[in-house]
Amino acid sequence: MASRLPFILIGPRALLAKPAAILLVSMTIAIFAATGCIREDDLTLEQRSHQLAGQLMCPVCDAQTIDGSNAQIAQDMRVKVRELLDTGITNAEIKEYFVTRYGQEILAAPGGSGFNLIAWIVPFFITFGGIGIALLTIRNLRRSNARSAELAGGGPGVTTGQNDLAEYLAQVDIDLGISSSSASGVAGPEKPKSNDEAGS
Amino acid sequence: MADLGVMAILLGMALSAYSVIGSVIGVKIEMPALVVSARRALYMTMVAAFVASGALIAAFVQNEFAIKYVAEHSNSVMDRAFVWVAFYSGNEGSLLYIVLALSIMSAIAIWFAPKRMERSMPWTIAILAFVQLFYFFVLVFFASPFELIDIIPEDGRGINPLLTHPGMFSHPPMLMGGLIAITIPFAFASGALISGNYADDWVDVARVSAILAWGVLGAGMLIGAWWAYTILGWGGYWGWDPIENVALMPWLVLTAFIHSIMVQKRRGMFRMWNVALLNIAFVLAQLGMFINRGGPVVSVHSFASSTLGIIFLSFMLLSLLFAFGLFLWRMPQLKSNRAMESFMSREAAFLVNNFLFLAVMAVTLWGVVFPLFSDLARDVSVSVSAHYFDRANGPILLGIVLMMGVGPLLPWRKSSARSLKRWLAWPLIFAALTVIVLVALGVKRPIAILSFGVVAFTAASIMEEWWRGTAARHRSGDNWAMAWWRLVNGNRPRHGGYIVHLSILMLGLGIIGTNFYQQRTDGALALGESLVIDNYRIEYIDSDSSSRSDRIAQWADMSIYRIDPADYADEISFARAQGSDGFTLKDSTRRPNDRLIGQIQPWHGFYTDFNMVSVRSGIRSTIVEDLYVIPRDFLADGRISLAVSINPLAWWLWASGPFFILGTMVALWPQPVLERRPARSENKIRAMATGDL
Repeated sequence: MASRLPFILIGPRALLAKPAAILLVSMTIAIFAATGCIREDDLTLEQRSHQLAGQLMCPVCDAQTIDGSNAQIAQDMRVKVRELLDTGITNAEIKEYFVTRYGQEILAAPGGSGFNLIAWIVPFFITFGGIGIALLTIRNLRRSNARSAELAGGGPGVTTGQNDLAEYLAQVDIDLGISSSSASGVAGPEKPKSNDEAGS
Repeated sequence: MADLGVMAILLGMALSAYSVIGSVIGVKIEMPALVVSARRALYMTMVAAFVASGALIAAFVQNEFAIKYVAEHSNSVMDRAFVWVAFYSGNEGSLLYIVLALSIMSAIAIWFAPKRMERSMPWTIAILAFVQLFYFFVLVFFASPFELIDIIPEDGRGINPLLTHPGMFSHPPMLMGGLIAITIPFAFASGALISGNYADDWVDVARVSAILAWGVLGAGMLIGAWWAYTILGWGGYWGWDPIENVALMPWLVLTAFIHSIMVQKRRGMFRMWNVALLNIAFVLAQLGMFINRGGPVVSVHSFASSTLGIIFLSFMLLSLLFAFGLFLWRMPQLKSNRAMESFMSREAAFLVNNFLFLAVMAVTLWGVVFPLFSDLARDVSVSVSAHYFDRANGPILLGIVLMMGVGPLLPWRKSSARSLKRWLAWPLIFAALTVIVLVALGVKRPIAILSFGVVAFTAASIMEEWWRGTAARHRSGDNWAMAWWRLVNGNRPRHGGYIVHLSILMLGLGIIGTNFYQQRTDGALALGESLVIDNYRIEYIDSDSSSRSDRIAQWADMSIYRIDPADYADEISFARAQGSDGFTLKDSTRRPNDRLIGQIQPWHGFYTDFNMVSVRSGIRSTIVEDLYVIPRDFLADGRISLAVSINPLAWWLWASGPFFILGTMVALWPQPVLERRPARSENKIRAMATGDL
């Protein structure tokens, strides 16, 4: 039953055009939802102290967290983290404790508010922007397929004569490909040679 | 040796300068003899680089401490095997190594370049020679490994202790070699563009050289991760350190390239895109060189040198201008002559995969520059480390793994919804079963369960392809092994790719296991005491030490027992109440169900000259989990301070390596002529179609 769910998601023909997008979006939502499910009290104090140690930088080392460093101050800070945890305060409060003493730099990742929010928003835009561009490109390429004859002449800086021929040959290839695909499959090495003659 | 070395690098600089000028002028005034001599000059730069490298290695072997580089990177007690490592362990020597690697690769690439590329070769040679010229220039004027010192020291300083590890024989050379190897496909593509050869002649040679660079870089990163795991003593293998990131970024772009170049090879599409990808990869490789040598970003392991920073920055900017200037100039001629037919085609899947790879690259780059950005914009220093990258890149990487399962199921051009459903059914069922089993076993953490599900889906989709293809061939008479072999052999790029995909899935298993289910505890043990974590007991049996002129080493003998938690119920509940996952035992008497399963010998060395600690963790590895014991310190009171962790599925990280290399080699192996067979059933058509990229 569970395996049918994705079929329902991508089932209707109208949606079929974007299965990759839908899968990705739903997966990302699931991941973000899942991230919220882990609560601090599911972890032992020791697990939390290691987790926190991985989120605090060693102030005297280059690009290392106190978790990874053997420097004296890193060891002291690890002990301090554990002491603070034993008093029963939250992870956020412990981080705040170190930030007030060492500044923002002590955090292994920028905090999630104010200016630092940019650090977290940009990846989101990059990812969805990237996927969006990819899907738009595919759509445009498909449109140009439908109206290839018009576009071939209209593109800026395109030397028309050769490209018309190229488009034509490409179309012939495509047509042949479709008609022959049921007979022998799309197997066999395509000869890029035919494009070269047309393209160069 | 110093004189010989200096002469060789001067000669190398002159020869590469001649090769650049000769190629360009030879083409412009149409003088073939000049072009040929420029090409030969490029072969000779390889000889010059060999002589210079040989001179430096000989100086190391003979302990010529009059040479500053030798004195700073070796000493008389160093194991001679590490001369090779010492050669590239510092800034100057590594630059010499890079030019050596580039000159060898250039010579091979030019020698084997197909004849039909004759027209663009002079430009390719000019670009290769120019990059070599830059490195020789830096070697001659800014970072000579043959600089002498006035007062010759009695003994050298010795090699950096962190580098005395078998992984170091291959990790740095592979990483640097892989980064500089990106120059080769870049030079072929750019050469073709400059000469106005817009045909796809460059595609094959660029693909092969790009896969080589990609494979070497990828394997180099994996070996580096293994090195970090066994020696750095922090229990991790990938820290998203800036230096690691600058190697990862070009690798990601190359990964996109070696996928999308297949679209150009097979369908004549994505021409602009492929050139752009190579350009980005090349510029990122130069960014890597820049950050490695005095860039503005702090890192655990870079060659800090502020004077070189500006030179490498300039070269990176020059690369950027050149690559994209050329691209914009020739863009109109790079138009594809075919169009996309459907979203449900492999072309479309490759495009989506490309953007995902670029997204990881861009997010990583963003993380690397964000501290600078924050400094400049508001004068507040922030740190961006693994904690950020894991969360920002993790979901995209998972998306890539998912695409890895979907993409190969789609045929070229277009597919029908019906056939896609049929192909997706088994992987989806398998993924769902995996998730159900994991939940039933009581595995927590939704992200990890989701990740395992995605890995299972993709693994099943590869297996389905192999199964159907093999079964079709089996029905036509081959035995199973032969059928599978024929299937792979029939289309090596595709099936080599699948083997690499499997290795990535193995890597994924390791990453998920170690990231989400690692258990850790710290403790200090006196002789005879034990530390218990999960169902392991680690008993401290004995210790020993040795000292050498450059270091003091101490190590411990420890026995590992598998225990039955019921025997230790009281201690466990006491530890739990305190919030600890492990505990120490004063009395190591064996309890009824203790079973000895192994011995480890964690090693701890202090290097006086470097004021640096280097450790070898004690690791007991199985395919299920590693018990990983870091000797943090030998304390004054005779106890040993330990950080112990259980790293689930860590074995899979390293097991992926051989498959990665194997798959890359299969994909690279020259393709035989395909035999065509008439298709009989629809299934068979599909099998053949998928057996053929």
